[in-house]
Amino acid sequence: MLETTRRRFLLGTAFVAASATLSLSMPAFAQAPVKGGTLRVAIDQATSVLNPLLVRVNPEYMLAELLYSGLTRLKVDMSPEADLAESWSANEELTEWTFILRKGVKFHDGSALTAADVVASYKAILNPDTASPGRKNVGPIEDVVAKDELTVVFKLSGPYADMPVATAYMNAKIVPAAIIESGLDKLSSEAVGTGPFKLVSFEPDRQVVVERNPDYYDPERPYLDKVVLNVYPDSTAESSALIAGEIDLISTLDPTEYMRLDGTDGVDLQRVASGQFCNVNMRCDVKPFDDPRVRQALALTVDREAMIQFVTEGFGTAGNDTPINNAYRFFSEQPARKPDIAKAKQLLADAGYADGIKITLVASEKPALRTQLAVALREMAKPAGFDIEVQTMPHATYLDQVWKKGNFYVGFYNMQPTEDGIFKLLYTSDAAWNETRWDNSDFDKAVNAARVTADEATRAKLYAEAQKLQYEGVPSIIPTFFDVLGAKRTWVAAYDIHPRASVFRFDHAWLTDKAPTRS
Amino acid sequence: MTDFIKRLMRSPQGAIGTIIVLLVLVAVAFGPYLAPHDPEAMSILARFKGPSADFLLGTDQYGRDIFSRLMIGARSTVIMAVVATLIGTVVGALVGVTSAFLGGRADEVIMRTVDAVMSIPSLLFALIIVNLLGSSDINALLAVSIAFAPGMARISRAVALSARKQDFVSAAIARGEKPNFIVLSEMLPNTVAPIIVEMTIRVSFAIMLFATLSFLGLGAQPPSEEWGLMVSEARRYMHISSWILVWPSLAIALVAIGFNLLGDGLRDVLNPKT
Amino acid sequence: MSASYLTKRVALIFYTLLIVSLIVFAMTQILPADAAVMMLGENATEEALAALREQMGLNNPVWTQYLHWIAGVFQGDFGTSLRTGLSVGPVMVEALSRSLLLALFSICLMLFIAVPLGILAAVRRGKIVDMAVSLISYVGVSLPEFVTATLALLFLADRWKLLPPTGYVPLTENFWDGVAHLIMPAAVISIILVAHVSRMVRSEMVDVLHTDYIRAARLKGLSSRQVLWGHALRNALLPTITIVALDVGYLLGGVIVVEEIFAIPGIGRQLIIAIQARDLPSIQAGVLIMAATYCVVNFIADILYSLLDKRIQYD
Repeated sequence: MLETTRRRFLLGTAFVAASATLSLSMPAFAQAPVKGGTLRVAIDQATSVLNPLLVRVNPEYMLAELLYSGLTRLKVDMSPEADLAESWSANEELTEWTFILRKGVKFHDGSALTAADVVASYKAILNPDTASPGRKNVGPIEDVVAKDELTVVFKLSGPYADMPVATAYMNAKIVPAAIIESGLDKLSSEAVGTGPFKLVSFEPDRQVVVERNPDYYDPERPYLDKVVLNVYPDSTAESSALIAGEIDLISTLDPTEYMRLDGTDGVDLQRVASGQFCNVNMRCDVKPFDDPRVRQALALTVDREAMIQFVTEGFGTAGNDTPINNAYRFFSEQPARKPDIAKAKQLLADAGYADGIKITLVASEKPALRTQLAVALREMAKPAGFDIEVQTMPHATYLDQVWKKGNFYVGFYNMQPTEDGIFKLLYTSDAAWNETRWDNSDFDKAVNAARVTADEATRAKLYAEAQKLQYEGVPSIIPTFFDVLGAKRTWVAAYDIHPRASVFRFDHAWLTDKAPTRS
Repeated sequence: MTDFIKRLMRSPQGAIGTIIVLLVLVAVAFGPYLAPHDPEAMSILARFKGPSADFLLGTDQYGRDIFSRLMIGARSTVIMAVVATLIGTVVGALVGVTSAFLGGRADEVIMRTVDAVMSIPSLLFALIIVNLLGSSDINALLAVSIAFAPGMARISRAVALSARKQDFVSAAIARGEKPNFIVLSEMLPNTVAPIIVEMTIRVSFAIMLFATLSFLGLGAQPPSEEWGLMVSEARRYMHISSWILVWPSLAIALVAIGFNLLGDGLRDVLNPKT
Repeated sequence: MSASYLTKRVALIFYTLLIVSLIVFAMTQILPADAAVMMLGENATEEALAALREQMGLNNPVWTQYLHWIAGVFQGDFGTSLRTGLSVGPVMVEALSRSLLLALFSICLMLFIAVPLGILAAVRRGKIVDMAVSLISYVGVSLPEFVTATLALLFLADRWKLLPPTGYVPLTENFWDGVAHLIMPAAVISIILVAHVSRMVRSEMVDVLHTDYIRAARLKGLSSRQVLWGHALRNALLPTITIVALDVGYLLGGVIVVEEIFAIPGIGRQLIIAIQARDLPSIQAGVLIMAATYCVVNFIADILYSLLDKRIQYD
């Protein structure tokens, strides 16, 4: 059923969105949503960036989603639903996509949304000078034109089946064309969007307050009067605040804090299986990892079942060195890699490292499971002859100095909506962040072919081929996938944790009459 | 010397402090031989165990033996603190004593500059330095030493000034000895006692500063057995097993109390006026 | 207190800030971070970076950059944050105001506890009370703040629900709620100070109680209570002012950890964020402001001291 709905979403000619809105509410809150109230959300790092085209971490995505809208957005099942676009369609070859905008949508400054704003926004995202992290994630767009006041046409460089998913990318938000012309700098301190909420105050390191946008295109939503994002640098303190009822919701929770909150009165724990993972990246163009045998050897030292315990306290599933698990549509199961130290030693010796390898593994401190993974890997790899020194660093330092540059480090990635999304983000030779420099033409070919194929069975075959190639080539070790965890007070209704971990949909949430009244 | 030890042991602070510090030194010297397990050996089946005959103080989040880790970690934790304090003291004392000896304008300029450096809180100073150099235990050591130097400079100067007024320095100057010689052979030794007292107390500060740097992710690197790092890692798991947090915290507290007591005891012995 | 003394004292503050500004500027120059990359992010093009470097004056000689920065500081302009693009000055000043509130609260709390403890220990010198007080002070200085803060959270907030766990409520928004939120962080900061100051008060008090001045007072037939409160305390507390002022340096360091744990948006937290993000203008501004605070507090303490103690003559 999922498949058919999805296909209808992707390729359907004139789908109107209104029906999809309330399907997410939990049975306990089947009564009609109530308007009003302030939702207090805890986030684990500062929202340094306000400009939606430049946001790059989950709390910033959250804020961008509150204030801005895109053409489409992702439902909890990862299928796209209408946002600013009312409907969409593609030509036969999937090379040209047409999006029809809603009528009467207004920006927070009162100006009307037109196709010109969409065109200008996409052009800004695609412009290298804007330096948007989403530049390569919004689809293979060659040109975008406004056909009339409310019709936008994307001309693609090749056929692309996942376009309505790509337009839901976190950076693909629509900002007024006038602001793009006068300079995007303005958006680093104020927000002019079409989103369900308007910016009240922006203090990036402490608190961001947004209030209901009375002119939102859906007259029903949002239900909340206000949403307040509070920054909690320390996760112990964050949980304490939830226990005390000072905050209503923690958007991302560590496994250990999840266990701590388990059984607390008035707190609902939230957990969803996801394709979120940590990968141990090995630069495939630099010694010693330029030899695939070395990478395979390291992969063979990892006890994945133990890793699930050490890193996720059991809140995860075993990985097999490909970024695809059963949370994705085209998952193809590979033989589970079991630790085999003798074989690993043999591979190392064959590669000319009979005496072992001494190397430094870098792990950022956020989230803490990166370090845990590094420390556990160090111990597991020791008997095979790997002498790994772990180096941790503050996240910002890591982003600045190691990420996409280092030879050997622990990455952490959210689940992407599609296979194409994750492969093109990290592993094809032309990937947006090809951090391992893995360059496998067969793999590239399979991914590129799947991207332009509409036939489900053929796509499944191509993606299975890609997964097999990555399983054998091991550009990075992916030992475990993580469940996405969160917690909320029971009085918060209609908020479901999203496997994407960067989508929140607070416009659907509301507070029951049990919620304390706050100013 | 025996008289000195007798007097030290007579005061309760001195006696308790000496005993604790000696115990700690035993752990530093023989820790690796006392540790019953490999401090890095993980066991998926032995995670979060309470104290037992096999694991005296229980096990941590990786199933590692906490007692063994504490024993091995004593070396890095205590030696780091002592060395950092020593370096800071030597640098500070040299600056302070030199300044006192030079006197006049030079003294004024040196001390005002020292005061200026002191206006930056030492934790902040250490944070910036470690961030500059990259986080590792050697860099943390450097950072703490540098952060301690100005305070020590101030104290040594004060002590040296009072020593300067005393006869033996005037005598040395009258003998026509070189300034370097006077500073090193006459003034420094006579200022040593109060500096040793201050130093002993500062070792406990150093241990805390290292622990705090580890908490902020800028100190020792996992899987190091440094106690501060053990505590800061344990915070995440304390709801599963509180022993992980309790033991290294107690170890830190014990060392800090030990050096503080010893410092006070020494003060009483070396300076009987107060 | 003479005018020349005041002038000298103020000149000293400026000298201190000059040295600090040089140190902090030198440090941020060594930091291996390209300000332009920090500002535009990973995905910037080389041309955009070059243009920004030119615009920010990063290609100028270091001395020019320093003078430019200092000139800005004198006009109250600390530059723009590389991380948020917001002006650094107002952010830091607002953060400082919260930290000062926390620090002031901590000092009050500390004096409230430390002074009576110290007096008690001095009066009952060598008795059980004295031993208990010194035991408290030894234990107080033996745990890092992040451990005491964690314990406070677990017991005072989670277990016993006595105090709100974290966060910051402006006093102007809700006075009592704001105060309630300050108690736990302030208590954590003051523990080490209580240990330090109560010992100082004790030893000063012991000294004073043995002076001829107090003996004379006793001989005059004043009751021991009058002697204690009227004469001894005043003289014992005077040196405490200086000690507290010097402890402000420690206090400002202590707020760094406490603000991080209790999510208080003060200057310590700003500095941590700035240091981790290598946001140079914010680091420079933060350190300079912290040093200035330290100087000003010590200046005030000096003046207070001389006003309270007529015996001290400044030249």
